[in-house]
Amino acid sequence: MSGVPAGQIAVPTARRRLPRGPGNLRQGWDRLRRNRTGFLGLCLVTLVVLIAILAPMIAPYAPNDQSAMLHFGAQAPPSAAHWFGTDRSGYDVLTRTLYGAPTALLVGLGAMLIAAVIGVTVGALAGYLGGFADELLMRATEFFLVIPVFIVILAVVRLFGVVVIGTPLEGLPFLKLDAIIVLLGLFGWPPLARLARAEFLRLKQAEFVEAARCIGARRRDIVFRHILPNALPSLVVVTALGIGSAILAEAMISFLGFGDPKTISWGQSLYFNYQVLRVAPWAVLAPGMAIFLTVLGFNLLADGLSDAFNPRLKQ
Amino acid sequence: MDFPSRAGAVRAIDDVAFTVGRQETLGLVGESGSGKTLSSLAVLRLVPPPARIVAGRIVFEGQDLLTLNSAQMAALRGRRIAMVFQNPAYSLNPILSIGAQLTEILAWHEKLPRRAAHDHIAELLRLVGITDAPARLRQFPHELSGGMKQRICIARALLCHPALLLADEPTTNLDVTIQAQILDLLQQLKDRFATSMILVTHDMGVVARMADRISVMYAGTVCETGNAATLLRSPLHPYTRALLESMPRADRSYQTVRSLPVIPGRIPSLADPPAGCRFHPRCPEAEADCRKLRPMPVTLGSGHVVSCLKRGSQGVLA
Repeated sequence: MSGVPAGQIAVPTARRRLPRGPGNLRQGWDRLRRNRTGFLGLCLVTLVVLIAILAPMIAPYAPNDQSAMLHFGAQAPPSAAHWFGTDRSGYDVLTRTLYGAPTALLVGLGAMLIAAVIGVTVGALAGYLGGFADELLMRATEFFLVIPVFIVILAVVRLFGVVVIGTPLEGLPFLKLDAIIVLLGLFGWPPLARLARAEFLRLKQAEFVEAARCIGARRRDIVFRHILPNALPSLVVVTALGIGSAILAEAMISFLGFGDPKTISWGQSLYFNYQVLRVAPWAVLAPGMAIFLTVLGFNLLADGLSDAFNPRLKQ
Repeated sequence: MDFPSRAGAVRAIDDVAFTVGRQETLGLVGESGSGKTLSSLAVLRLVPPPARIVAGRIVFEGQDLLTLNSAQMAALRGRRIAMVFQNPAYSLNPILSIGAQLTEILAWHEKLPRRAAHDHIAELLRLVGITDAPARLRQFPHELSGGMKQRICIARALLCHPALLLADEPTTNLDVTIQAQILDLLQQLKDRFATSMILVTHDMGVVARMADRISVMYAGTVCETGNAATLLRSPLHPYTRALLESMPRADRSYQTVRSLPVIPGRIPSLADPPAGCRFHPRCPEAEADCRKLRPMPVTLGSGHVVSCLKRGSQGVLA
């Protein structure tokens, strides 16, 4: 990847063959851009990321500003001052929706980061070692797979709030949200573990891995240089899908009233406002759409990535 | 070298003995499933699990490889003993550049500075007939042709000047013209680097061209070993004879496809090998003894070793 001037990389329009053929990542990127659904997903995800970063700058009000109560009142319909109206508590809906983006991303990325670390480690060990270790780890994976995750999370989040009182953990910011992220991660890894195991099983017998062994590769090189990078594309796809479902899961938890009251989350906005759905539909519609578009974005992106990295579609 | 081995309950290769002298090419021939590849992997102690080597000795440069620990063994692979594979398309990592795959070997085995490593690789690429090394090193395997990839694989195998090169059907997946080029290349490089070579193949033509000595394998055992010229001119073992008979030859005319001689029957299952001589069910010369007694190798003439009761082998009950 090194030594090529940046200008040379950005020549997609010229149909001439580059002197140095594009690498796999680059090829994947090219295919992703040509793939309509994948590209749409990428746009949506980029949009959400931008909003999450820029929320404090572009939001018209402070997130906890309830001053609308003074002039417009709660549940005010959309107007020039409040584009998406105000909600039941007198918050500006647009502001709250924009500020929900960082929370959603934090949950999605945080939970999937934890899930990916656990899942890939477990799956890689199971697939690479095989035998008894494989048996043990996969049974453990199945155990996690059959647990009714939601009930456990709801119970733990509720209990957790009580248990931490008086411990140093109490001072942690957004404690409940952190707990939700960790729990989603702790229960979200089995699909990744299964996939990682399958990939490691397949790749450890691949001829190039055998060849690497024959020329003196140690176990570390085999795993980290030859197997893992080749397994990465499919793992990335499943992780992207998982981000979407983690965001959705957090919204559901918040909607059930088990969320973190200190954070601004879309699920929580739904929870606070669904009772006034008939009076002020905008207060529910905006966060609802935000959840929908974000999850859709990650799913489409995952879809596009799986096409982009599929070597059989190479031409 | 001598290594009986065992895959699970199936004894896949048994009583296989061969030696390779310095700078010599040993051709290992036999049909599919006769244990040629397994034998060469056993030299590297890389028999695919769950198979394992249960007994025997693999002596390399005066050392029994079976007594080395895994770190010592890994240090030997690619440095003193290297291997070239059957399918160049699959034996390179698809997502690493050629350069990365070649440098990693030098990084493992010799602590060469980057610059020196780079020069060394470029030199080897030149030797295997690849021009424009800097550009090639930045390419990925899927951008190269099959013959090119095999050249890369050969360069990779020779990078540390190994004493022994294992070539497992190095030309089977290439077309005939490239095949000839690759064989020439192997021959040249072998001479240049003073490397010994074990050439695994089922192609008698390749063996006739390359090998100094030939070992013929059948159903997991070696049935005949000898000087290449002698063995090809006057094969002793009935299997070797049948094998050579069934080669189409330009100086013979065949009326129809059917008139090309074939060996009747099929290679026996290794899970249940025939008692006595393993070739007896297909052997035109088989007698009652062949069904019961297993032939021991006997040396006839200069280094011509054959395992056949009809050629003077001792028979043992097995």
